Amino acid sequence: MKTRFTTRDLVYIAVFGALWGVLEITLGSYLHLIFPPLTTPLVGVGTIMTAMGMVVALIGRLFVPKTGSVLMIGVVVAILKALSIGGVKLPAMLGIIIESLLAELGLILARRPSRGGFMLAGCLAVLWTFFHKFFASYVFLGRGIYDVYLGVLKEGSKALGIGMGYAVLIIVAFLLIRIVAGGLAGWLAWDLGRAVQARLVQAERNAE
Amino acid sequence: MGKGLQTEPLPPRSETLGDQKGFGVRTVGIWGHLAFLVWAIVLGVLAAEARLVFVLGFVVAFSALFFRGSLRPIRRLEFWVLVASAVLLSPFLIGEKDLSLFGLSLSRQGFWAGLWMALRALSIALAVGGFAYAVSVDEMARLFEMAGLKGLGFAVGVAVNMLPTLEETARNAYQAMRLRGGFRQDRLQGLRMLLVTIVVNALRRGDEVVEAAEARAFRPDGPRRESLPLGRTDLILIAVLMALGAGLLAWP
Repeated sequence: MKTRFTTRDLVYIAVFGALWGVLEITLGSYLHLIFPPLTTPLVGVGTIMTAMGMVVALIGRLFVPKTGSVLMIGVVVAILKALSIGGVKLPAMLGIIIESLLAELGLILARRPSRGGFMLAGCLAVLWTFFHKFFASYVFLGRGIYDVYLGVLKEGSKALGIGMGYAVLIIVAFLLIRIVAGGLAGWLAWDLGRAVQARLVQAERNAE
Repeated sequence: MGKGLQTEPLPPRSETLGDQKGFGVRTVGIWGHLAFLVWAIVLGVLAAEARLVFVLGFVVAFSALFFRGSLRPIRRLEFWVLVASAVLLSPFLIGEKDLSLFGLSLSRQGFWAGLWMALRALSIALAVGGFAYAVSVDEMARLFEMAGLKGLGFAVGVAVNMLPTLEETARNAYQAMRLRGGFRQDRLQGLRMLLVTIVVNALRRGDEVVEAAEARAFRPDGPRRESLPLGRTDLILIAVLMALGAGLLAWP
């Protein structure tokens, strides 16, 4: 397989993959353990972990400014996830890859690296956590999409304290939370990434 | 920013790369280690209840025999806090409450589920730690190379090898900041500085790996290298693992 990434690019992809992987393997596994899905209906652990992962992956994009780098970071994390506590989790691995793909799409749409582009990428990636529930339940558990939809409405109505009749409001709340989380992740990634770049430049200057 | 937290001194390059971890005297080859990792994950997932004690026992025994350094995490208090929390929290979160202890409603089913979960987690975590400790980036990259994924293989190899180091540097950076009172005044600013320090340290470590890889003439699009040899010890270990695995799963 011909690769267009240099050795440095690949190592940086590994570094950011490992950083996201450490978060998934330690914090992610722990949060999944202490917060089962039913205790956190509106903001699941998946949403939190995806937002955190996106912060790391998008910082990585600043250091490997090539199309496909975020996807590669995602693939590395998915493989590391296979080695995490609880064994191979195919739905989670697939989720990570799809989220990275969507983030990559956001970055392509934004054309050049910018805070706005990072926020768009973060939003698209974190939004997937809502649809992943439908996708994973259908593909891996064979549950009908309508059943999952009813379950989501039930969880949402309980969390918001409103009737299931307000379906649109409940779905909007689910999506809005994810859009805000993703936007925040992109904003943070840009901010932290620039701070890291500044620190490295200053360290280089000091060394000279 | 530059006047903030200083990054800690880096360990010798060999530690970063994982290439010098006693490979000269290594009795089990890459295939043996891979088989052991797969065995631990498969048995960790499939073995039920009390059988997990045997899985964990074998993982600990294997680690102590072939890569004792990988057992370092079990000497840390945080490791046991994490394991204990799984056992202690599960009776509150899983199953029907059928027991009352010191005025607390608990679930027996939850306790056992938590215990088996903790054993499962311990077995897999130790096996993964051992694999990352014993297998070098080069060997891992060659494994993926053999599957036709060259660039990805190298990246995954470096990432797996970096996991323990990253965990350690993150902990050191956190301790250094805490000791200097970094979180006392502006917690958010302190957290931001901590994250920046962790990423900067990780990138510096990455730069070392790049230098080492380039010094060894590694090129992502370089020619295919010879495949990894399957030794007699590996074969014996694979046979033992298969027999042991089948025995454990068939055990009534």
